[in-house]
Amino acid sequence: MSQSQTQREAIGDLICCALVLIGSLILFIGASSLPPPRFEPLGSAAMPRILGFLLVVLSAVVALQAVAKLRQPKTPTVDIEATPNSPYRGLIVLAALIVYVFALDVLQLPFLIATTLFVTVTGTAMHRFAARSIVIHGALGLIIAVLISTVFSRFLGIEIG
Amino acid sequence: MLDAFIQLFELQNILFLVLGTALGIVVGAIPGLTASMLIALTLPLTFHMDPVSAVTLLIGEYVGGISGGLITAILLRMPGTPASIVTTFDGYPMAQQNKAERALALGIMASVVGGIISWFFLAGMSPALAEFALQFGPWEYFALVVMALVMLAVLAQGSLAKGLLAAALGMAFAIPGIDSSIGQARLTFGNSALLTGFGLLPVLIGAFAISQVIRDACAPQMTQKVPVPQKRLPIFGSDVKTHGLNMIRSSVIGTWIGLLPGIGANIAALVSYSTAKQVSNEPEKFGKGHEPGVVAGEAANNASIGGALIPLITMGIPGSVTEAILIGALTIHNLQPGPLLFQNAPEVAYGIIAAYLVANVIMLLMMWGAVKYIAQVVRIPRSALLSVVLVFCVVGSYAVNSNFTDVWVMVAFGIIGLGLEAARVPLGPFVIGFVLSPIAEEQLRASLMMTDGDVTEILSRPYALLFLILAVLTVAWPAVVARLKPARKEEMK
Repeated sequence: MSQSQTQREAIGDLICCALVLIGSLILFIGASSLPPPRFEPLGSAAMPRILGFLLVVLSAVVALQAVAKLRQPKTPTVDIEATPNSPYRGLIVLAALIVYVFALDVLQLPFLIATTLFVTVTGTAMHRFAARSIVIHGALGLIIAVLISTVFSRFLGIEIG
Repeated sequence: MLDAFIQLFELQNILFLVLGTALGIVVGAIPGLTASMLIALTLPLTFHMDPVSAVTLLIGEYVGGISGGLITAILLRMPGTPASIVTTFDGYPMAQQNKAERALALGIMASVVGGIISWFFLAGMSPALAEFALQFGPWEYFALVVMALVMLAVLAQGSLAKGLLAAALGMAFAIPGIDSSIGQARLTFGNSALLTGFGLLPVLIGAFAISQVIRDACAPQMTQKVPVPQKRLPIFGSDVKTHGLNMIRSSVIGTWIGLLPGIGANIAALVSYSTAKQVSNEPEKFGKGHEPGVVAGEAANNASIGGALIPLITMGIPGSVTEAILIGALTIHNLQPGPLLFQNAPEVAYGIIAAYLVANVIMLLMMWGAVKYIAQVVRIPRSALLSVVLVFCVVGSYAVNSNFTDVWVMVAFGIIGLGLEAARVPLGPFVIGFVLSPIAEEQLRASLMMTDGDVTEILSRPYALLFLILAVLTVAWPAVVARLKPARKEEMK
């Protein structure tokens, strides 16, 4: 593992710890508004407090390990980019998913249209931007949408959207 | 048990079992798609089925999903599921030596033998273990849950602290909602949508399926040319003598590793492979297309399913994410897995056991007859598969309660899952912490009510104490080993 990757991971760990600490703070705030135990010794607020405490301790341990990694002396290494992964493709797919759910829930777009568009966009983003790819994924989206809506409405009595 | 088999062979149930096994094999054969993802996605559909049909479908998917992975592991050196990684070591070299058919035949046979041997453990041990577990009180259950969570966290890949952090985080996400003990809202912050808490299905689908699809979407898209097996799959009578002992040993190892929470089918396969190599007269041949290598891995990974089902149905303790999803399947039918399952819903408890055996036989018939066609599914473009899986994620989350809140929860947990994976925080303990949190809290509160708040009472209960000691030892073991290593090196010097 290269030096820069170790540092990136350590910084990622620190960000994760910060988010967990915010989460544990929410647990403590939520627990403080709960009534004290009346019929049983433990009460409703105990579990959030116990977990909040555990999260603080464990994130402190992870943070200390990350700081130790950051403090390691730097040795000259060569970054090897072995994985040609594209995080942008993942981001496009995630954004398309959020837009798809928004379209179905808030915009009340019909399921057939929304699903056809969604499969076309995500399929093309993951494959390649070409007319043939758009047509194939569009057709697939339409078929899947028709199949799902038929099965759900006819056999399960569920109307989607 | 006989009644369970009779019920299983009713047309509807057997059709679901065949369908589940077929779906499982196909999904298992596709690298990137896993049995747990398939089970999570079909779970919402089982909501409308009777419990026995639902579990037969899901057990078929589980067995097929683990077995199907061997096809691409042998033909392409790409394990369809993580459980088949070991199969690539010798299966792929065999395929390169024009022995693909032989590797597939041995892999399929070993899978079935592994499944059947672990079925004997499942069928033999489960009723007795459930009977035994009836003696457990709240302290024992609380300690058992703690032990399972600690083992999962420790044995998950990555650092111990991150494993424990994942489990605690998963437990924390289960807290919002109505506190059933006092009937009051807890950590909802005035949001009525949170009164029912985060649904199990949206959390499972989001944390596993969504995050996995997004990760797969980032990976380079390749079209695979599959070397299709041309000849008949060869298996001989002499194989019983040649591979019989290896199959039995690997199956027993797989079953016992499956019993322990958090270890999983891939480790079971790896341990069996190492054992087969150690006891072999020709260890140098392993990794170069040696038949016992394929047999060891495949027998063990299938056997681990039977092992993992034992704590699930007898004590309600999931050993892996797939079992956590199966717990979800039972709870949406108002069934509580655990010792009382054999009393309250024997048709389901024994139905799981019967379905597991028959699913293995169906898997054998399907894979033996159609392996060359199943191998072709790898040619379906990943972009099409992943897009369709995402649509199923959305539809599946919506279908449970017919509302979009669950879908948004699924998306949110998908993002959380991605974030955790990016920080190398394991998702297994996170999801299982989420599933076990309500049980842990309920049992702890009941225990303290019984003893008037006296925590030391746990020390006077032998089983509870044993579980706690095991949990402490599991946490301490890596540190002990790390300390012993330098001392041993010094001694060697």
